[in-house]
Amino acid sequence: MKLLDRYEDIVGHQEVERLRRLAQRLAGKRVIHVNSTRSGGGVAEILGWMVPLLEELGIAARWEVIAGSPEFYRVTKAFHNGMQGLPVALRKSDFELHYEVNRENAARLNLQADIVFVHDPQPVYLPHFTPPGQVGRWIWRCHIDASHPNRSVWKHLEPAVARYDAAIFSMPAFARPMACPKFLILPSIDPLSEKNCAVPEAERLETLSRLGIDPQRPLLLQVSRFDRFKDPLGVIEAFRMLQPYHPEMQLALAGGPADDDPEGAEVLREVLERAGDDANLKVLMLPPDAHRTINALQRSAIVVLQKSLKEGFGLTVTEALWKGRPVIGGACGGIALQVHDFQTGFLVHSPAGAAYRIQFLLRHADKRQRMGRTGQEFVREHFLLTRNLRDYLTMLLCLDHPDETSLVV
Amino acid sequence: MEAADDFCVMDCSLLRSATARSCSNLRELLESLRTAGDAVLEHHMMRCVLEDHFELHEFPNDLARWCWTALGDNVLGEQLAVVDPYRHASTAALRATLVNLLEDRLWGLEHVPWCRPGLEMHLIESRLIGYDTGERIHTPAALLEAIERMSPRSLFFHVHDARRRTAGHSDDFSLWLERVGADPSLVAKLLGIDFYFLRLSQLRQELIEAFRDQAAAAPPLTRSGP
Repeated sequence: MKLLDRYEDIVGHQEVERLRRLAQRLAGKRVIHVNSTRSGGGVAEILGWMVPLLEELGIAARWEVIAGSPEFYRVTKAFHNGMQGLPVALRKSDFELHYEVNRENAARLNLQADIVFVHDPQPVYLPHFTPPGQVGRWIWRCHIDASHPNRSVWKHLEPAVARYDAAIFSMPAFARPMACPKFLILPSIDPLSEKNCAVPEAERLETLSRLGIDPQRPLLLQVSRFDRFKDPLGVIEAFRMLQPYHPEMQLALAGGPADDDPEGAEVLREVLERAGDDANLKVLMLPPDAHRTINALQRSAIVVLQKSLKEGFGLTVTEALWKGRPVIGGACGGIALQVHDFQTGFLVHSPAGAAYRIQFLLRHADKRQRMGRTGQEFVREHFLLTRNLRDYLTMLLCLDHPDETSLVV
Repeated sequence: MEAADDFCVMDCSLLRSATARSCSNLRELLESLRTAGDAVLEHHMMRCVLEDHFELHEFPNDLARWCWTALGDNVLGEQLAVVDPYRHASTAALRATLVNLLEDRLWGLEHVPWCRPGLEMHLIESRLIGYDTGERIHTPAALLEAIERMSPRSLFFHVHDARRRTAGHSDDFSLWLERVGADPSLVAKLLGIDFYFLRLSQLRQELIEAFRDQAAAAPPLTRSGP
């Protein structure tokens, strides 16, 4: 069975067939994706399915990963934070290291292709150091919110970005003013991945038992890093407001260890302190590859929260909606694109708002179930990888017709 | 075998681009409508239906939706909701209508309505690529069956985009049915559908009902000619 055939049961034969049809016009095109890691993180996850699927569609797709020292990744982590507007302290030598590692990788990697997609800031200087004529078009895929970057970081990256023929952002609000076209491609999830596939009931129950969660009592869940922008303390506050009315309620805050993130460790400490010895409140430290555990937790929750104060797109929201769970989300970023009041969940602005909406959903099982079904269909239509793939194919076709806003191929 | 007058089922795909321009209040929206490219107007007034989020939105275009939900200007939201871009001869004419509407509204307001931070209207333009699905329809009856299972994007291409291509005169279904000599009353019914105010799922239902009504009132749908 071909890879794409596996998605027919989910999106239908027609959708898969149309992808093949669209891709026929692109057969043989040489495409390379370059990023900074083969595993871990959302970008690697996307490339993990996208490259084989593009290949199956007849596009000569490759995935290259740049190499760098731990010091390089410390610097690019600072770029990442700086791009999202956080204050960062960088020295001249940090910028020089970024140039140098990009120069080395440009010499090491074979980037002969019609189109090279460069993901995020780490490899952004590759066009500067790649001999002219090797690459037809350079496209910068920026996965982060670049709307208000730290000035020193943007000053360093701007000359690099100016060399690109186009950029891709996840949402219009994330785009920087740049001369080249700024395409918009929303992220997506893979419905067959470990994190999103169906989970046998026995495995789901075993997961809950292992984590000390009672499967007979309602569970609220937030899956996210221990980060102030995710507002885990606000979630606990909402839970505390509910407890007098629903003493049977359980809350799980599931996230990863924060050893490499001093602020994350501090937030985690505060969360643990606030959670105290409440047996109904679980703070779960899960390893980065605990995809099936997260999957089972999301499927067990009665309502999923993503009470962020600032958010990129919020793929955890997409994952929960796909599993038929209504989501109560902070009214920010991509959450507002996915959570629609009374349709797929509720947007909230405070812990009180979250508590109020949870109470509503607990009281109205019929509405909860209807919202769950609507959310799942909403994701099927807009946020699965087949739509993402179609957007990429459309973009590749558009690049060959840059001046036309409407065309038939 | 494919005949020259078979109906060719097309599909389409939309690629959106950011303009890096956004509006926070009504005055900025007016300025944007005066100066933004035609592709921006086309996207927010016509192509936005392709981003239709099930039954989540009640207005047919982004401008009405934003004025209603983000600015809280219900009067303007309602006025913008009934501006049918397909009844305008050109994008310039559509722009003039929109600008005039906003100027009128601003003239009568004491305070310029603003949106909350985070609810800005980000101006977008888009490119539409139509492509042949390889499917061919031989008879009007088969067209009905095809419409029942067509992707929403195909419906957009054959109805909305066809109106744009024909300067508002017809849709692809009606043009083909006329060409193959189908019952003129069916063609008239299809042309009478107020497609702009429908979601694509509703449009499908209206098309199907038009075919069924015609079938109930007339002999079976067949192709005329030898």
